[in-house]
Amino acid sequence: MKSFLIRPALALALAAGLAGCGGSDKAEFTVAGTVFDLAYEGLKLTNNGGDTITVSPPAKAGDAVNYAFPGKIEYGDVYDVRVSAQPAHQTCTLNNNYPVNADTAGRLAQISIPYLCTINDQAIGGTITGLTVAGLVLTNGSTGGTVAPAKDATSYVFPLEVKYNQTYGVTVLTQPAGLTCTVSNPTGTMGDVAITNINVACVPRT
Amino acid sequence: MKSSYLRAGAALACAVALSACGGSDGELLLGGSYSGVTKTGLVLLNNGGNRLEIPASTAGNGTGTFWFNDLVSTDDEYNVTVDGRPDNVKDCVVYNGKGRAAFNISSVQVVCTFKTHALNGSVANLKGAGLVLVNGSDRVEVPAGATGFAMAEVAEDAVYGVAILQQPANQTCTIANGGGTMGKVDISNVAVTCAP
Repeated sequence: MKSFLIRPALALALAAGLAGCGGSDKAEFTVAGTVFDLAYEGLKLTNNGGDTITVSPPAKAGDAVNYAFPGKIEYGDVYDVRVSAQPAHQTCTLNNNYPVNADTAGRLAQISIPYLCTINDQAIGGTITGLTVAGLVLTNGSTGGTVAPAKDATSYVFPLEVKYNQTYGVTVLTQPAGLTCTVSNPTGTMGDVAITNINVACVPRT
Repeated sequence: MKSSYLRAGAALACAVALSACGGSDGELLLGGSYSGVTKTGLVLLNNGGNRLEIPASTAGNGTGTFWFNDLVSTDDEYNVTVDGRPDNVKDCVVYNGKGRAAFNISSVQVVCTFKTHALNGSVANLKGAGLVLVNGSDRVEVPAGATGFAMAEVAEDAVYGVAILQQPANQTCTIANGGGTMGKVDISNVAVTCAP
């Protein structure tokens, strides 16, 4: 007796369930996300190698920028968002905490792909002549680090790089014994290429 | 009757005291990371004991990791505090320093902030506009007629090197005493002299 009642009830429940997901209107999704720390123009994002949008820096420096591709994709469609052009002076990459730029729409309730941009940095250094003993220490101010080229070195590079638009100023912190070293082209404001002409010339002290 | 209560109480107190000094027979590590430590002097305590002296960072940037020598037991409370500081910092603050141990703890953070001192100097015979001085990424414009300048403050024991990014109009300036290591007092002897 019991089973007679249960069976139709199950069938009804099943039918109701099927109707619920049988809709002809598939769920739609917007491919969107947020870009953090974008400071310069030029960032382009591309979805599936086709649709491309340009993302501009925020009105207020430091704010995050939301982006969204025009048009929606349907449940089950794949998306694959990549950086097709980097902004000037910056490099934008997927946020390491959420390194997923491609998936199938519907696996997540919402598509949100975060990108993180950092200011590019470049090395500074130059040539050395006459460094016949060890002991030379060069510094790039208080926060740019120091470098101590070895005896007979003919070039050097600071271990710390300098960010775009930051200034640098290389000075001799410690002169080697018996030598006087001078720095040419010691200061500048970093552009987009490494600086290699901060040359050091050492001569015997008179 | 009275004495039996007393005796029981004494026994209980004894047991509590004994269990409280159970020593270092734990099985969990307690530690974390520190920053701003360029010389010796940082001393950490756990629950007021278990003294740990942190050596100067070998990383060169004042950062490193630490572990207390004694292990802690599961469910033990830990409370990391600072008992001594290097003499070139003004403060060391402990983050995530309190809790109850359930697994190895590596999340304690000790952040020390350096003392800073002024980096100032004099300017002689500056007639033209446009002089710009830098100390690395710190940039200071010095107006015509100025007789002194102030760069951003520099951490104690850090090095500095003041250089000319841009010469003033129609003049050439030179710097004396432009580089050195910040001591315990302000620097004021950086001398900029301009000619003609």
